[in-house]
Amino acid sequence: MMHYVCKYTPVELFAGFGEKYTVLDDMPDNFDLSDRIAHPNLCGFGKSVIQSALSKGIDKLVLVNCCDTMRRVYDIIKDSGTCSFLYMIDLPHKCGYCQKEAFTESLLHLKSAYEKYTGKQFDRNAFKSAFPPLQRVSGPYVGILGARVGREIEAMIKKSIPFPVRNLTCIGNRSLSMDINALENVPDEKQLFMIYADALLSQLPCRRMNDSTARRCLYADPNLRGVIYHTIKFCDYYGFEYSEIKDKLTVPILKLETDYTRQSEGQLQTRIEAFSETLSGLENKKAKKRSSIKEHFVAGIDSGSASTDIVIMDQNKNIVASVITPTGGSAQSSAGKSLDEALHKAGIDRSSISRIVTTGYGRSYISGSDESITEITCHAKGAHYLNPAVRTVIDIGGQDSKVIRIDETGAVRNFVMNDKCAAGTGRFLEMMARALGLSLEEMSTLGLNWKEDIIITSMCTVFAESEVVSLVAQNKAVPDIIHGLNNSVAAKVSTLVNRLGLKEDFMMTGGVAKNTGVVHAIEDKLGIKLYICKEAQLCGALGAALFALE
Amino acid sequence: MDIIKTFGGMIENMVPKNPMGARRLLLMGYRAQRLALSALAGKKLPPSKRYVARAVMDVIIRALAHPENAAMVSMFTPCEPLSVAGITPYSIETLSGYLSGTECEKVFLDHTAGEGIPETMCSFHRIFIGAADTGLMPKPKFMVYTNVACDGNMITFPYLSHKYGIPSYFIDVPYEKSEDAVQNVAKQLKEMSAFVGDMTGRPVTEDALREAVGRSARTVSNYINYLGYQKERRLPGDLTSEMYAVFMNHILLGTKESEKYSRMLLDDIKKAPINSGLRLLWLHLVPYMQPSVKKLLNFNGKAFITTCDLAYESMIPMDESRPYEAMARRMVYSCYNGNPKGRILQAINMAKRTGADGAVIFAHWGCKATIGAAQIIKKALENEGLPTLILDGDGCDPSNSSDGQIATRLGAFLEMLGGKSK
Repeated sequence: MMHYVCKYTPVELFAGFGEKYTVLDDMPDNFDLSDRIAHPNLCGFGKSVIQSALSKGIDKLVLVNCCDTMRRVYDIIKDSGTCSFLYMIDLPHKCGYCQKEAFTESLLHLKSAYEKYTGKQFDRNAFKSAFPPLQRVSGPYVGILGARVGREIEAMIKKSIPFPVRNLTCIGNRSLSMDINALENVPDEKQLFMIYADALLSQLPCRRMNDSTARRCLYADPNLRGVIYHTIKFCDYYGFEYSEIKDKLTVPILKLETDYTRQSEGQLQTRIEAFSETLSGLENKKAKKRSSIKEHFVAGIDSGSASTDIVIMDQNKNIVASVITPTGGSAQSSAGKSLDEALHKAGIDRSSISRIVTTGYGRSYISGSDESITEITCHAKGAHYLNPAVRTVIDIGGQDSKVIRIDETGAVRNFVMNDKCAAGTGRFLEMMARALGLSLEEMSTLGLNWKEDIIITSMCTVFAESEVVSLVAQNKAVPDIIHGLNNSVAAKVSTLVNRLGLKEDFMMTGGVAKNTGVVHAIEDKLGIKLYICKEAQLCGALGAALFALE
Repeated sequence: MDIIKTFGGMIENMVPKNPMGARRLLLMGYRAQRLALSALAGKKLPPSKRYVARAVMDVIIRALAHPENAAMVSMFTPCEPLSVAGITPYSIETLSGYLSGTECEKVFLDHTAGEGIPETMCSFHRIFIGAADTGLMPKPKFMVYTNVACDGNMITFPYLSHKYGIPSYFIDVPYEKSEDAVQNVAKQLKEMSAFVGDMTGRPVTEDALREAVGRSARTVSNYINYLGYQKERRLPGDLTSEMYAVFMNHILLGTKESEKYSRMLLDDIKKAPINSGLRLLWLHLVPYMQPSVKKLLNFNGKAFITTCDLAYESMIPMDESRPYEAMARRMVYSCYNGNPKGRILQAINMAKRTGADGAVIFAHWGCKATIGAAQIIKKALENEGLPTLILDGDGCDPSNSSDGQIATRLGAFLEMLGGKSK
């Protein structure tokens, strides 16, 4: 079985030798084998190819000289000696005559190399019959665009999105425009391969090609209902396309960044579900469906990484009781204990609660709830309840930070989240507080009395921690260090806000909203005023309760 | 008071509201620095290294002050046709290096992050894009670039060509080294020269190109001779001087300035004292801003860099009578083109030539070409008996480096080499 990774690979050529072929696009659980022999800062897909080649005993692999990472992936696998047939095709960056000639030579070289390897003869008829017919697809769809996605993410998206989903990344959009019958009259092999090279190079360009303007047709399709834009950490090509299209698209767009492993499936699921809710106008539908139900009490449970928050609300949208407790043990047991405490505070029993909606990371692990909705949609709902003028919600929680754009009804219009890195989250502050030997409460105000403007250059939590330790060793004043840390969080969060654009009024929610130093730093950095209220940390649970009520 | 930090802070504050004002202020600062270079002349440096600091600064000043007569290029673009046409070529890496040296890079990095441009991309490219996007960098007349050595070029140049609305020429260099590839690239270089002629209204004649390539050939020959003297002698220097050498051997190659610099280097080293300090062969960018590396290697007779592979990557004989082929051969047979074998062989040659005790591969953040090959190169060099260190860091964005970790790694490596060979 021949494995390949790129749409410019001449797979039909292998059919000409009677060889079967398949795409190598598994998302591994980790990169342990790759990290032993390759640098960790290669792009995740490149590392996944190395990992697969080493772990699955792939014997025949053909790569394309796509980018610096793939060139090095070839070198590394070759050095490891695990493949009996390993080949890299030299793909030009332009489609001029010079380049087509050179690519024809590359294809002929590959053919010779494979002939030599197998001792088989190339069969023209088998080659010609391998070309798939061009497919025409119609009707509305959501497109997966950007850098290639693994089959696991593609399946997750297809399961969650209420429209047909088309994977238009990399091999997903492989399509050769060839008049197969015309090949009958081409006696000369070089001429035949020139036509083949032309068809391969004339495909919809990937971003690696020098001129990729033809890709605009991907975004201009009237059937496109939404875009899930995927980028891979340390693959730089597609971030630029995202930057170019994000403000021009008229359909909703969700940016997903992965390292091409399955390590952050939970976070990805949250984003995809929230996007799906946006697409289907869930908020409005739910409001309509449930407006007639008359009930007395509902509960919203926000099961976060750091705390479990509960809001009990009556039918007139009054908060009857609320509880914030640290999440300890399982999401289920924390939610159970917190709900009991909230019921006690409200002076009611469990049977008085007619409906429970859960949100947060642990939302799917809590049994007994009527529905679970992502914290993004719930935060928007809660923020709108607390202040209807709010259009931008900045939520910094324990393990992630997000910025949500909401409309005048409280519905989500767009959102962005931090990547897997902890920079700019509550966890970052927690670790820095530990390094300084302070409590989070002390951290929140100590930095307000700073004198020297210290810049913490490292965004990485691990590097920042060692930077803090070395600043302490230099006898720098603790308030100055904290001020530097607050500015570091503010810089990271401001980046997310700027990605959505500044739109008043601004509200900050999540546990970090209680940190006065960070709040001031964000206000200074963005030149805005943040609305903060005492219910800020309850915003997600509040939104969940509102959904339960509706 | 730290003057550079204060000046950089002023630039950073001005950029969002008044980028043109920030540019004028920057230019004023660079002109003042140019005067300082002439007056104080960096007494610790030999004449050749003082000269090169001024020559490169002149290019940067011209690029900022007269963008209508400047072209943006990638580091491995042959610039002889541009200098023949009287155009100031400048590389984005050099401009970003200057901005980082002025300590105002953060405003540009933050801007690109806000635009959704990946933070994993090479920081030199991100700083430049930020400077262009915010309006600090003026629009050049045109751009010329190539895929050799760096994928970042394939992103940055098309992006900025579109953004600025200026014409560009791209030289597509095949990955495989062959005479067919040389002919293919030579054809493109002929086209590129015609493009430069059209852009400037000053045709690039083959006679003028022959002269320029002749200067390139003499420069390369002088530089190789200079490296031979490094085996016994040492010219005092700093990390920045190594990066200037890269600029001279690429962007200004073929100019009188570059030839003069190589001659001066050769004269200086002939007069330099014999030195038995540790000699390092450096692969990839030299992190001239990194405090720990500066402390260990700047003006240090006990350990110093003899040369860096970016400075010698295309040091092959050139036939000036066939200028397009000579330039094309330089690109195709550059050790940065193709698989890492080229870099390994070139490093072994240069280590022998300069008497290197060890090699350092600088795994610059975002440069997949080098970080991906680092382990392979290290293994091959060590098999040849050359101890090799892979040093992770960033050439211009301090937030991607841990200075303490770099100090430990490089310090321990030097201790290891000292114990072993001296």
